Amino acid sequence: MLIQDNLFLTRSNPSGNGGVQFLYRVKDYGLSALSGPQEEISMIHWEVEVIKFKDPKTAEFEISHTTELADKTLKFYSDKSLNEFIQKAFQYFEELDSLEKMLPNESQQS
Amino acid sequence: MANVKGSSVCRTATDEGKPADWVPGGEKQTVVDPMKMFHELPREKLFITGSEAARESMRRANIDIAIAYPITPQSESMQQAGYLYDEGYIKEYYRAEEEIGTFSAISGASRAGVRSLTATSGPGLMRGMEAISSWPGARTPIIMLNMCRVINTPLAIQPDNIEMSFMLNTGILLLHAENQQDFYDYPLAAIMASEQVDVTLPAVVSVDGFFCTHARGPVEVTPEEYKLPPRDGWRSAVPAMDNENPPARISRDAPIQKSNFISYHMHSSWQQEVFAAVERSAKYFDKYLGGLIEVVNPDAEDFIIASGCAVSQAREAVRQEGEQGRTVGLVKVKSIRPFPTEQILDAVKGAKRILVPEFNQAGWLHKELCAVLYGRCNAVIKDGPRVFGGMTMPTEMVLEWLAEFRKEVK
Repeated sequence: MLIQDNLFLTRSNPSGNGGVQFLYRVKDYGLSALSGPQEEISMIHWEVEVIKFKDPKTAEFEISHTTELADKTLKFYSDKSLNEFIQKAFQYFEELDSLEKMLPNESQQS
Repeated sequence: MANVKGSSVCRTATDEGKPADWVPGGEKQTVVDPMKMFHELPREKLFITGSEAARESMRRANIDIAIAYPITPQSESMQQAGYLYDEGYIKEYYRAEEEIGTFSAISGASRAGVRSLTATSGPGLMRGMEAISSWPGARTPIIMLNMCRVINTPLAIQPDNIEMSFMLNTGILLLHAENQQDFYDYPLAAIMASEQVDVTLPAVVSVDGFFCTHARGPVEVTPEEYKLPPRDGWRSAVPAMDNENPPARISRDAPIQKSNFISYHMHSSWQQEVFAAVERSAKYFDKYLGGLIEVVNPDAEDFIIASGCAVSQAREAVRQEGEQGRTVGLVKVKSIRPFPTEQILDAVKGAKRILVPEFNQAGWLHKELCAVLYGRCNAVIKDGPRVFGGMTMPTEMVLEWLAEFRKEVK
């Protein structure tokens, strides 16, 4: 089972292809972890995107391929490996949020 | 190991190629009251496929015999049943020659008084329909797992639940699972309801294949050391055949086999009793499943009524509408037979618009709803969106139909 911390939303795959989507949120960033149907159980995997939320309250987001964490869709074949990534991502998002808050201040000062 | 105690068949450790001290898994389980299993026992959250959820349900169902013939997407669940047989949770299991053979054999097993399970999908269900439609009249409590798929040409193996419409008027109890959790819970509830003495009918639990069976989802399961009480073959509307004291007649009353006025009269009253028994099962499903329907946002003017996977897509549409400040209601129909007419009527009494999304071409749920709500509800009932042949139903599609519906009906 995936980590439940910072779990913002669990829902059926909105594309309608079956499966489930977990949305994690840390400040404005987060992760989308999607697991869909496969012909064999052994082929079932996670497709993970780094996402940036558009609104503080809703689940609207856009996929972000511009962070240091990932520049493409990631695939994980076990809950264990994904959980390790999620933990690192949480830490990264906290730091990223702090950095992004500093940037406008610096630009105002200059 | 000696012969399995209390079992209808004799499996020995030697027969199974097991160590001499092997004890079948089912023999290590403790029988628990069904209401305690459904509502009180602690649950562990797993993340498993629908097929695996079916396996965990079967593990706790005290199944005496399983018979099936493989067909996609059912095959994986019955492969899992094979593991349960190996572990000793299912006492007898074999692959029949094809579906007519499967469903005839499972009927024989049920008539003999043991808890009997089978499973199929789309074309397999169609092939076995002659035998299946004889189950209710024979008053055989059978549990059938039905993993829905496309049934017609051109060939496809993707989700489409048109096959459920063929069972609506057979006298079978019919539940429609939304997700992997339901595919764990519903078979257990269906078994207990179907074996009640004032019911004594077969039960089918349908699920939309692939989307649920071949995808993982969160499922909360009870401890595996507990199982349902065994079937009591003598506690039935029609007692089990005593195969140890032949002859046993399949039809008990000779006149019903003849073409004369008496036989027609008897057949007619027999059918009335079957469909009355379907209605009597409602009270059991009500307490086992916590209601025949689930209602979200009961005060809404706009409602979505759905069953199966369409509920999940509707659920997300309702959530997204909520984010936009619009309240949309949802009625999840858990039980198709018995059909929860009064519960739905009560749920949508304040509705202005009712949308019915479905995964089939015929729109059988829409027709069912129109039949029971006609003249008793002021809402406009719109059929759609409908996808079929393996098509998907994105949340956006439901949202677009809702927006269009609001323009059509002010």
